[in-house]
Amino acid sequence: MKLLYIASDRLRGFASACSGWVGAWRDWLYDPGPVNERERRGRKLLLEWLSVAQRIQYEQYNYFDVTGCHSGKRYRIRHGMGTNIYELDDRGRALTGWCFVPEGYLVAGDVMLAQKIALETDERGALALANNFSLR
Amino acid sequence: MAIQIIMDHNGDTRHSFDANDEQALLKAERRFKALTGSGFTAATRTASGEPVVTRTFDPAAEETLFFPRLVGG
Repeated sequence: MKLLYIASDRLRGFASACSGWVGAWRDWLYDPGPVNERERRGRKLLLEWLSVAQRIQYEQYNYFDVTGCHSGKRYRIRHGMGTNIYELDDRGRALTGWCFVPEGYLVAGDVMLAQKIALETDERGALALANNFSLR
Repeated sequence: MAIQIIMDHNGDTRHSFDANDEQALLKAERRFKALTGSGFTAATRTASGEPVVTRTFDPAAEETLFFPRLVGG
């Protein structure tokens, strides 16, 4: 009986230790800290470079509009990391989609900032390498 | 203090330097050339906040942003 009691006690200790390891492993696996920090830095940098109007629009709608430096056309850059640029008509309706991104893994804020700078400073160059996608 | 901001997988990496320090300026220029030489685009902002792409190192630029080469997505 005493042996059974000791074994049961040891088993409980072992289960408790395992539970601690599993918890630690789960915390490590799902820890959003570093990812959130990267996203936060990207968002901060984006907001620093947006114009006042773009910043207000982005914070309200999760997108902002830019004007192409060559054609004067308007483009809407939605929050995202790809297939997130829409060419707008005079009435603000999306006509077609464009996709170009900076090489490598970057957070969404960085991707959107690179897209904004490219359209505002070298629209033709950016669209020449972009892929066009239909919105239907 | 001037700053060079390089977009990377961590969001960005920032290098601050004293533009009056000759050695620091030289190091910043080397960094500029290395990055643009490997395909990064360098951009600064005008006084009104509009982005301008720059191909040469400007020792007077207070802030220079570098982003990687663009590719079709």
